[in-house]
Amino acid sequence: MPVVELNLNRIKKLISGNTTKKKIIDTLPFLGLDIESQNGDQIRIEYSPNRPDYSTDFGIALGLQGLLGIKKGIHKTNIKKYGKFEIKVDPSVSKIRPFVTGIIARNGTIDDETIKQLMNMQEDLHFGIGRKRKKSSIGLHDLDKISFPLNYTTSTREHSFVPLNSESKNTIEQILSETEVGKNYGWVLGDSKKVPIILDAEGKTISFPPIINASVTTVTTKTKNILVEVTSLDKDAAEDMLSVVVAILQMAGFEIIQLTVSGKKNCTPKLNSRIIQYDTKLTEQILGLNLTPSAIVSSLKKCRLGAIQKGNKIQCTIPRYRFDIFGPMDIVEEIALGYGIENIVPKLSPSQTLGEKSFMTKKLELISKTVVGFGFTEVLNSSLTSKKILFDFTNRDSSQIISVMNSKSQEHTILRDSILPGLVENISKNIHESYPQRIFETGTVFSKAKPISEITNLAGVIAYKESNYSEMKAILQSILKIGFKIDIKTKTPKDNVTMFADGRHSDIFVDEELIGTVGEINSDVLDNFKIRTSVVGFEIKLSGLIFD
Amino acid sequence: MSQVLHDIEKKIIGSLQKKSGQTPEQLSESTELSIDQIRRGIEWLRLKELAQVKESSKVEISLGQNGIDAFKTGLPERKLMDLIKDGPKTFDEVRTILSGAGFNAAIANAKKNGWVKIDKNESGSKISVKEKSIETPEEKLISLIGEKSIPEEQIENKLALKFLLQRPDYIIQNTEKSKTVSLTDKASNIDSTISTSGAIDVEANVPMVFAARTHPLKDTIDEIREIFVKLGFSEIQGTLTQSSFWNFDALFTPQDHPARELQDTFYLENIKSEKPATPKQIKQVSASHSENWRYNWQLSESQKMVLRTHTTCVTIKYLAEKKPDEARVFSLGRVFRNEKVSYKHLVEFNQIEGIVVGNNTTLRDLMGIQKEFYKQLGLTKIKFWPTFFPYTEPSLQTMVYNEKLGKWVELFGMGIFRSEVTRPLGITKPVLAWGGGIERIAMLKYDLDDVREFYNNNLNWLRTV
Repeated sequence: MPVVELNLNRIKKLISGNTTKKKIIDTLPFLGLDIESQNGDQIRIEYSPNRPDYSTDFGIALGLQGLLGIKKGIHKTNIKKYGKFEIKVDPSVSKIRPFVTGIIARNGTIDDETIKQLMNMQEDLHFGIGRKRKKSSIGLHDLDKISFPLNYTTSTREHSFVPLNSESKNTIEQILSETEVGKNYGWVLGDSKKVPIILDAEGKTISFPPIINASVTTVTTKTKNILVEVTSLDKDAAEDMLSVVVAILQMAGFEIIQLTVSGKKNCTPKLNSRIIQYDTKLTEQILGLNLTPSAIVSSLKKCRLGAIQKGNKIQCTIPRYRFDIFGPMDIVEEIALGYGIENIVPKLSPSQTLGEKSFMTKKLELISKTVVGFGFTEVLNSSLTSKKILFDFTNRDSSQIISVMNSKSQEHTILRDSILPGLVENISKNIHESYPQRIFETGTVFSKAKPISEITNLAGVIAYKESNYSEMKAILQSILKIGFKIDIKTKTPKDNVTMFADGRHSDIFVDEELIGTVGEINSDVLDNFKIRTSVVGFEIKLSGLIFD
Repeated sequence: MSQVLHDIEKKIIGSLQKKSGQTPEQLSESTELSIDQIRRGIEWLRLKELAQVKESSKVEISLGQNGIDAFKTGLPERKLMDLIKDGPKTFDEVRTILSGAGFNAAIANAKKNGWVKIDKNESGSKISVKEKSIETPEEKLISLIGEKSIPEEQIENKLALKFLLQRPDYIIQNTEKSKTVSLTDKASNIDSTISTSGAIDVEANVPMVFAARTHPLKDTIDEIREIFVKLGFSEIQGTLTQSSFWNFDALFTPQDHPARELQDTFYLENIKSEKPATPKQIKQVSASHSENWRYNWQLSESQKMVLRTHTTCVTIKYLAEKKPDEARVFSLGRVFRNEKVSYKHLVEFNQIEGIVVGNNTTLRDLMGIQKEFYKQLGLTKIKFWPTFFPYTEPSLQTMVYNEKLGKWVELFGMGIFRSEVTRPLGITKPVLAWGGGIERIAMLKYDLDDVREFYNNNLNWLRTV
C-alpha cells in the first residue's frame, strides 16, 4: 500500500474549519486511511491504490472536510480560459507515446512541504495508475520559464539538453545509460530510434517524457505558476492522471487555466463531471439500512460528491478525479462511508443451511488422530521448497522439477513433489532435541500434468539409533488397517536409485496399485543433512486411497 | 534417611569415608570403577549434597626454547662476558659471534648488570669488562628448573621469574586444574555396604517426556473451520495452482495491475493452462475488462499458471460453476505471495474465505457474522473500518483490540463482490465475502511475535507449546 506523510498542524489549517487534531486522527480511518505510525504531529498514512487523490495532504484534507461536515458536496473542477497556452502534437509521436494533455495552474504559493507533497503525488501517480510510467507519466514545470506554444514531438537519441539535477548538457543516450531514472525507466521506450520530447516556442527542451524534465523549468519555492503535462499511451488514462493533479492543485489554492491541445487524435482536456442515476432501493438491499432520500443525499455530499433527489432516484455528480467510481455499487459504498461505518449496527440472522466440513477434511482429521496415536508429532513445511532439500541432498530424480519464477527467497524456489525430504530436513534441524523423534505431515504434492496435478500425501519419519525398516512398516500397516481397513503389501523394488538404503526399502501396494514407499534413509543422505542417527521413513498418497 | 543410593555412589562414599579428599583419578583407582562412572557418581552425590568438589588450579613452570639454550650454553650476556674476558672487542666482532637478537639482549643486560663499559671512537664502539660478573638470580633459576617441570610455588625468587617471563620464550607456564572430592557432613554416617533389597530412589528426578500432538497452527485452523461450520458454512476445496484467469481476471484485476507482476506473485515456469475456463466465461470476462478498464485483454496472459494469491479464486470458480441462489460456503488453505520472509511475512500462509449468497443478505448481516465469529474466538472488542479490495464494493476490515499491544490490529476483510466480477460469470445474486489470514489469529493465540515459528518445526516448541 502506498504511504503519505502528513503534518497535523498543516492539515488542520488546510481543512480551515472548526476541528481538533484528535478529531482528525479519529476520522482518518473512516476515509479508508490506515495510520501506519505517529510521531508527534507527523503521521504516516497508508492509502488505497485506487485513491491517488489521497497521495497528498491536500486530497486528504478535501476528504476530511466532507466527513467532518466542514465543507460538503462536490469539489468542482473550475477551468478558466484565458491567455494563449497551447501544446501542438507532432504526428511522429503517434507510434511511440501518442497522447499529451495538460493544464496551467496560476497564482499559488509553494513552500518546501508543498513541494514534498507534490513529489509524493507524482511518484504515486507514476507507480500506480501510470504503471511505472509506461502507461502515463506527468511533469510539473515553472510556467514562467517557458514560451508558448509548446511542441510535443520526437528527437533522436543524440539530442541533448540540461536535465533536472544536472548542470551540464547530456544527450538522450547519456541520460538513459548513465542516470538512475534513465536506467530505471528507459525500458518504457523500448529500442525505438526516436524518443518523445517537449520543446517550447524557442526550441528549448523542457521535458523528455516519461524519463526526466529539463533543469530550466524546475519547480521551486519561488515558483508561482505551474505547467502540468501528462504524456500517455491512452488518452483517458492521461486525463485520469491530470484530473487528480488538478483537484489537488485547486485545493492547494491555484487558479486552473486551460491548456489547448491540438494534433492527431489529441484534444484539449475538459475534465467534466459524470452523472450516475442511483436507485435508492439499493441502500436497503445492500447495506440493510432504511435511509430517507435526504439522508442519502447528505451522506453522498459528505463524501464530496454532488447529489440531488429526483423522485425515487438520486442524481449523483461524480467529479472527474473519482474514476474509481464505476457504478451504483460504488455509490452504495460512498453512502456507507458518508453515513458512517461506525453507525451501521451489525445484525446476526440465523443460517438457513447446515454447515459441513469437506469429506477430505474429515478424513485428514482421522489420519492425524491415528498417526498422533502412534506417537508422531505433526509438523508443517512449505509447499515451496529448495532444490537442495528436495533433490540434491536426497539423490532424487529432478527431471520433472516445477519451478516458480523470480522468487525473492532462495529456500522457496520449487514446488515439492514429495513430503519426505522436508521431514528429513526437520530431523536435521532438531539434532539437539531428545530421541526418539517421530514426526509426520500431510499435505499437497505437485507433479506435471495438464497443466499440474495436485494430490495429498502422508509422510512420516522415525529417528533414533535403533530405528529400522520393520518398525516403520509395522506402524504404517497399522495406521491403514486400524483407521481405514486397508491392507498393504510391500514389494522389493526393481531399482535402488532413491534416498533409501540398498535392500532396506520397499514399494507399498494396495490392491496391486503402487501407493508409496517405506525404507531406511541411506547414509549418504543422512551425511548430507548432517544427521548422526538412523532415520526410517515412509510416504504414501492419500488421494485416491482415502478420498478422491 | 530415605535416600536409596546407586552402587556407584555407595562405592565412592565407602572410599571417601576411608580417605577423604581424593581426586577422581584416585577414586577410580580405589573403587575400581571407570573414570566416567566416577564422574557420574560424583555429580549425583553433589546434587544430593552428599559430596563436595573443590576445584583448584596449579601452575607448572618449565623452560621454553631460549630457556633451554641458556641452560645448556648460558644466557647471551654470559656468552658476551666469555668473549671479552681476554680483552676489549669491537661491536662488529661481538655481533658476528652472538648473532641476531642475542646480540642486543647480551649488550642490554650486561650493561644493566653493570658488567661492561662501552667506548666510542671513529672506528666504532668497543666493549670491555667493567667488573667481575657473578651468577645472577635468573641464571640460578634456569639451572634450578633445568629440563624439569616444577610447581610455581616452589620457586622462591619471584622477581627472577618475573624478569625471565619478560624475555621471549624463556619460561612456559602451564595451568593444570584438578578436583578433590570429599564428603559432606550429611554423608559421613551413610552405610555404604551394598545391599540387594531392590529399593530405588523414589524421590530422584526423572527425565522429561513428551506426548505426540497435532501442530498448533493446525489446531487453530481446525478451530476456525469449526466456527465456520457452526455459522452454517460448508467447506469447498480447490487447487493451490491456478490459472491467472481465476486468480486475477475473473476477479476484475486488470492485466497490467502491479499485483500481477512477478515481484508479487509466483508464476510457474513454462507452464500454462490451455483452457482456463469455458469459451463463454472467457469472452464475457474479456469484455468486462475491455469495457471497464479500457485496454486490450489478452488470453495468453490469463493462461499463465500461478500459485494462488488468495482463496477467492476457489470461491469464484465455485460460484461460476454452480450459480447458486442461496449458499454459505467457505474455502480454506494455503496461499502464496512472492515476499521476503520476515517476522511478519511468509511466502506461504493459510487463508480462509467464506461467502454468503442470497437475496436478503446485506452488509449488516455480514458484519453480524463477523462479530459472532470473533466472539467465538474470544475476541469481543471489535470495530469496522472501510478499506479497499479490487473485487468488492463496499469493502470493510475488522479491527480487533489487542490488549497486549494496546492497539487495534487488522484481522479479516469483507465486502460484496462487484457486479463487474459476478455479472460476466452469470452470477446474478449478491455475493458477500469475508475472510483473511489465519496465522495472524494463531499468533495472537500462542502469543508469538514471529510468524516463522509456525514453520520452523522446532521440536522443543512443538512438544511444549
